[in-house]
Amino acid sequence: MKDIDKWNEAVDSDNLSDDENMILDAMGLNESSRRKFLKQVSAASLSIYASSFFTSEIFASTMKDLPENTIALLNEVKVNLRVNDMVKPLTLDSRTSLLDALRERLALTGTKKGCDHGQCGACTVIIDGKRNLSCLTLAATCEGKEITTVEGLAKNGEMHPMQQAFLKHDGFQCGYCTPGQICSSLALLEEAKNGEASYVTEDFKKIKSGLTLSEEEIRERMSGNICRCGAYNNIVQAFKEVHTGDDEMPTWEFATQEQMDKAKNA
Amino acid sequence: MRPFKYTGAQNKDQALQAFTATSHYLGGGTNLVDLMKEDVERPDQLIDVNKLDYKKITSNENGGLTLGAMLSNSDTANHPEVRTKYPLLSMAMLSAASAQIRNMASNGGNLLQRTRCPYFFEVSMPCNKREPGSGCGALKGMNALHAIFGYSDSCIATNPSDMCVALAAIGATVEVQQPDGSSRMIEFTDFHRLPGDQPEKDTTLMQGELITAIHLPKPEFSDHYYYLKIRERSSYAFALVSVAAGLQVNSGVISKAGLAMGSVAHKPWKLSKAEEFLTGKKPTTENFEAAAALEMKDAKPFEGNKYKVEMGKNAIVRALTQAYEREV
Amino acid sequence: MTKTINASGVGNPINRVEGHLKVMGMAKYASEFPVENKVYGQGINSTIAKGEIISIDTSEAEKLKGVLKVITYKNATKLKTFDEEMPELATDSIAPVLQSNKVHYYGEYVGLVVAETFEQAQYAASLVKFEYKKDPSAVIDFEKSKSKAYTPNNDSNYSRGNMEQGLSEADMVVEQTYNTPIEHHHPMELHAVIASWDNGKVTAYSSQQIVEDAIVAISGTFQIPKKDVRVISAFVGGGFGSKLNLDRHVIMAVMASKMVARPVQVTVTRTQMFTNTNMRQQNEQKMRIGSKKDGTLTALSHETLSHTSTTQEYQEPCGMVSKMLYKVANNEVTYKLIPMNIQTPFAMRAPGEATGSFALESAMDEMAWKLKMDPIDFRIKNDTQTDLHEERPFSSRLLVECLRIGADKFGWKDRKPEPRTNKKGNWLIGYGVSAASRNSPYQKTHAKVILELDEDKVFATIQMDATDIGTGSYTIIAQTASEYLKIPVEQVTVELGDSNFPITPGSGGSWGAASYCNGARAACENAIKTLKNNKNIAEDEEVEVAELLKKNQLTKFKAEGMAEPSAEFKKYSVFSFGANFCEVWVDKDTGMYRIERMVNVGAAGKILNPKTAYGQIIGGLTMGVGMVMAEKTRVEPNFGNFITRSFADYHVPVNLDLANIDVIFLPEVDKIANKMGIKGIGELGITSVAASITNAIFNATGKRMRSLPVTPEKLIEAGLEEGVTA
Ligand SMILES: Cc1cc2nc3c(=O)[nH]c(=O)nc-3n(C[C@H](O)[C@H](O)[C@H](O)COP(=O)(O)OP(=O)(O)OC[C@H]3O[C@@H](n4cnc5c(N)ncnc54)[C@H](O)[C@@H]3O)c2cc1C
Ligand code: SF4
Ligand code: FES
Ligand code: FES
Repeated sequence: MKDIDKWNEAVDSDNLSDDENMILDAMGLNESSRRKFLKQVSAASLSIYASSFFTSEIFASTMKDLPENTIALLNEVKVNLRVNDMVKPLTLDSRTSLLDALRERLALTGTKKGCDHGQCGACTVIIDGKRNLSCLTLAATCEGKEITTVEGLAKNGEMHPMQQAFLKHDGFQCGYCTPGQICSSLALLEEAKNGEASYVTEDFKKIKSGLTLSEEEIRERMSGNICRCGAYNNIVQAFKEVHTGDDEMPTWEFATQEQMDKAKNA
Repeated sequence: MRPFKYTGAQNKDQALQAFTATSHYLGGGTNLVDLMKEDVERPDQLIDVNKLDYKKITSNENGGLTLGAMLSNSDTANHPEVRTKYPLLSMAMLSAASAQIRNMASNGGNLLQRTRCPYFFEVSMPCNKREPGSGCGALKGMNALHAIFGYSDSCIATNPSDMCVALAAIGATVEVQQPDGSSRMIEFTDFHRLPGDQPEKDTTLMQGELITAIHLPKPEFSDHYYYLKIRERSSYAFALVSVAAGLQVNSGVISKAGLAMGSVAHKPWKLSKAEEFLTGKKPTTENFEAAAALEMKDAKPFEGNKYKVEMGKNAIVRALTQAYEREV
Repeated sequence: MTKTINASGVGNPINRVEGHLKVMGMAKYASEFPVENKVYGQGINSTIAKGEIISIDTSEAEKLKGVLKVITYKNATKLKTFDEEMPELATDSIAPVLQSNKVHYYGEYVGLVVAETFEQAQYAASLVKFEYKKDPSAVIDFEKSKSKAYTPNNDSNYSRGNMEQGLSEADMVVEQTYNTPIEHHHPMELHAVIASWDNGKVTAYSSQQIVEDAIVAISGTFQIPKKDVRVISAFVGGGFGSKLNLDRHVIMAVMASKMVARPVQVTVTRTQMFTNTNMRQQNEQKMRIGSKKDGTLTALSHETLSHTSTTQEYQEPCGMVSKMLYKVANNEVTYKLIPMNIQTPFAMRAPGEATGSFALESAMDEMAWKLKMDPIDFRIKNDTQTDLHEERPFSSRLLVECLRIGADKFGWKDRKPEPRTNKKGNWLIGYGVSAASRNSPYQKTHAKVILELDEDKVFATIQMDATDIGTGSYTIIAQTASEYLKIPVEQVTVELGDSNFPITPGSGGSWGAASYCNGARAACENAIKTLKNNKNIAEDEEVEVAELLKKNQLTKFKAEGMAEPSAEFKKYSVFSFGANFCEVWVDKDTGMYRIERMVNVGAAGKILNPKTAYGQIIGGLTMGVGMVMAEKTRVEPNFGNFITRSFADYHVPVNLDLANIDVIFLPEVDKIANKMGIKGIGELGITSVAASITNAIFNATGKRMRSLPVTPEKLIEAGLEEGVTA
């Protein structure tokens, strides 16, 4: 695995090692979609996967059922957790939050813990089509519900357009709030389609479905997801691209020589 | 978090039967689970009432609406009937928390959300509400977020709900199921209580009672309404002061006013004097200012929250102005 | 070697090379590594500000199912403690914990519970009973304890010329005090670690900004050889200074692992992020400025009063900017510290500049208003190309260009100099400006490159113990390698955040980009040079790296490189400069306000990747907005705890608080800074925000807001400045 040659050979021939197969399985990629994905992801980041200690560890994003410590469970509850179209029967402590069940029992660490008290949005997942906070959701209440996490968004080897837009518009820095931002954005697309209002909506009485959200509306509705790195403007841009097709890029520019001369000699 | 037994109730009877003195009903959990993590709430059983069939919005005999208690805050605020007939309620509800929390929060749970007093949240601090008899940390401590009306020596906390401020302005009735299976109605103004010497009790709900519905009177403020929320940041923050204002204006005269303030008292603070004063008057700035002054003269602030008096006055005037000037 | 512009070489706005992992939720942060057999640790915090633990009852906790250990000072591993009184807190400081029954501040760790599940660890922690003897002499009230202030041991007081004489020469004097509160970094990722102790060898997956210093701190605290410690910090969910040093939960995790012989995960709670990771201290800054009528500065003094803990010393260098930003002959900078029973403060994004510039640039605005001079003209009038403090030239200083180009872009000419004259409905509109400066300290950095030939393609792997805390390190290092090896960036792999890799100074203090890239450059250059030398190829001859490997009959080749500041570098002061422009709309009645737009201009040397650099600037601006709007940690006056103890009471900016931001980079070539001409940008953004907003608020309302944050209640209570017409 350490060996770049082997890696490239693998990429070219679809002749992947077990580790690599596991990785791609974890992403829900098979056959032709796997090929497509490998082409699409730049080698630079792929090789981050491939590097020594990163390999299996970084990539263990597949849903697992980590061994349970029944000795330490109090008030056991049995729940069939349906996450990203897979169902796992789990025996849990009644106190376990959905967030901890995902992260600590299913090794789905894409969903993040930023506060554990409903105050940041990092743990946002989609439950039955709506955005929810997994830190304040008891796993015990999730029987029969359909849970989607960031790991379940890529389909057939393609990142979800929202994921692509976040990448393109640099809608993140450290990446820690990102899964929550992306899940939140996806739910917001639906809310706009359904014509849901927000506090900054001008008139609550005019009800329209298929809303096109203004920048202020997007900002208000994404305010439940804190980004301490401050990537907000890029997040808005990424959302807009998927929402309306407006692919305006961030507003940075270089001063021209003319501007420099003028400033110097003013 | 302390251990507890999780009980999923399928219907009202199961929920009521499962109830014990140390149980809590579980709505969206956005307040209860948070407080359990803080070790503030310590139930030994949670009775999940989310599957109960109180999730509808129906017309009631008063010409108003009945909101199911287990319906989420976002589904309520966005219901076409609520948005068109009670836009003040929608606006207040949508000013609260975040989209995620509003999706989770139930109407019943919202009525029972507890104060945000920081002493209440920190178990190593004295707090009569959390631990009767331990003292009130805020009284001589940091009380910038605390009450200016209706408090007692034992507690100066405020009720943080936005939804409840609008309900107080509109005038609602809460329907609850009693443990014996009968139901009772509670006037909204009587639902929350002042702290007196029992600050541990936020409401007049009795042990084991289950909230099933909120009844709204016939709509009166669907044209002139505004919910003003002043806060430290523009979203996802509790109010420093908030005002729900609804007006009915006929031929240039106010025929009815619904007014309430949030984050100034232990309960949503109904501004009855101002409502009465405005009725029959013209919607002018002078009248709005007089109404505000009438209410705020009773304010008794602490060292840390003096600002609420001026802010409150300005907020009342602004909310009334916005409500009046709204294009119909 | 001569450079060619590669499609993805330095300077291009490529997407982050690790971005896929982040948007797919696959980047692994410290607590996410699937370490087998791990158990959970939960720290316990003291509930008094000063005193002693007189008894501990662990019985109830120990009885619980799944609880493996309760650690307190009574059974903790003996650790190295401080040799001296009040040592300075540094990035590689040891972090002794649970060593005595003494309590120095509210929230200090007094124990750790280890259990099989997270739920049980948390619950058990609440069952351990501590009895304390309170010491009533706890110092918890800043205002009431000023007489206890001392001059810091690390004496950084400074003066040039004669301050009093300078003031007497002035036509106009501004004398004002500016207050900034305790602030917390609050990266979104909670500090976390999974540590294992295996026969005296330590492995820690820990969220750290500086891997090498984490190693030094762990080995120093446990008195074990450095080589026996491995720290992995592959992805860091934000740092902002809070992860510069090693926090005590890491030591507790290692200790616990040693005791229970299992890997131990400790995640700091958001409430513990207030008490057990770093914070910015409260600063009371007294400014005195003297100026001639024509705007020539004659005197400038900057006195800072802050606090440190009772165990370690840290002084935020607020006065730094006042020593170097303007041409003023008479200058004085002093510091005083109150030892308080709260945790030791430490560097938070732009330590010194963010807070110091707020004071200086507010005072400058006050003076300009008094002089009836345009604030930009006033600053330009006092520009200097010499660092009067260090008595050496700036390597390059484009502050004037920043101000003028920004003013044009922003439309500064439309500003109404008289406050309260620009109105729209209920809004009062104001414009404000502030200058920014930030030292660009570049440091010794090692890197390794591994070249592998596959037919005609060369694949390169760069290894360094550098970290990417959201700053874009992975990406700019990949771009550097691409540039210097002249291969597409897709053929470059970057591996960071592992102490097995060559040593770098880590991420912090705006030195990351310059250090990392020059280190990577040196390794690539060495590789090429060696390959050429082996075959007697002239160094300036253009030969592709694939060709070189073939000529050497190699399919794999490794080289190391090191970069460090040149002798020339030391003869200059190397700083980034910038300016921020802000339009603010203040509601005349409610005290709420919104930032309508900002223009930020930066001269920060070579911009390696405008996309990630833009991120750094808007990130800094966002944090600066927080500094003004709401961020403040309040100390309870009777108990000494932080009454702001969660994200619900410590308000950081949300999406709606931000607005349009235009960022302009100046094309600056500064080869004195370093070979690649890179300066820091991560802290430049935040430096100029606060004053630009408060100056705009003054322009809008006529109210001088000298105490941060500017909350609605403060704006409502504030009166008009003398001379302003209502
Ligand atoms: C970060 C954050 C920010 C917030 N900001 C705001 C804000 O700005 N404005 C605002 O108004 N609110 C805000 N909230 C509070 C939020 O609105 C409440 O937590 C929510 O409305 C509570 O509803 P729930 O269904 O989740 O209640 P739960 O947490 O489930 O329950 C709350 C209480 O009600 C009881 N209960 C629940 N349902 C019933 C029932 N049917 N009958 C009897 N008892 C019942 C429970 O036993 C519990 O004691 C915020 C919350 C968070 C976490
Ligand atoms: S105000 Fe009420 S809730 Fe707050 S500390 Fe006092 S008693 Fe407790
Ligand atoms: S972790 Fe759930 S909201 Fe912060
Ligand atoms: S990307 Fe770091 S918190 Fe948003």
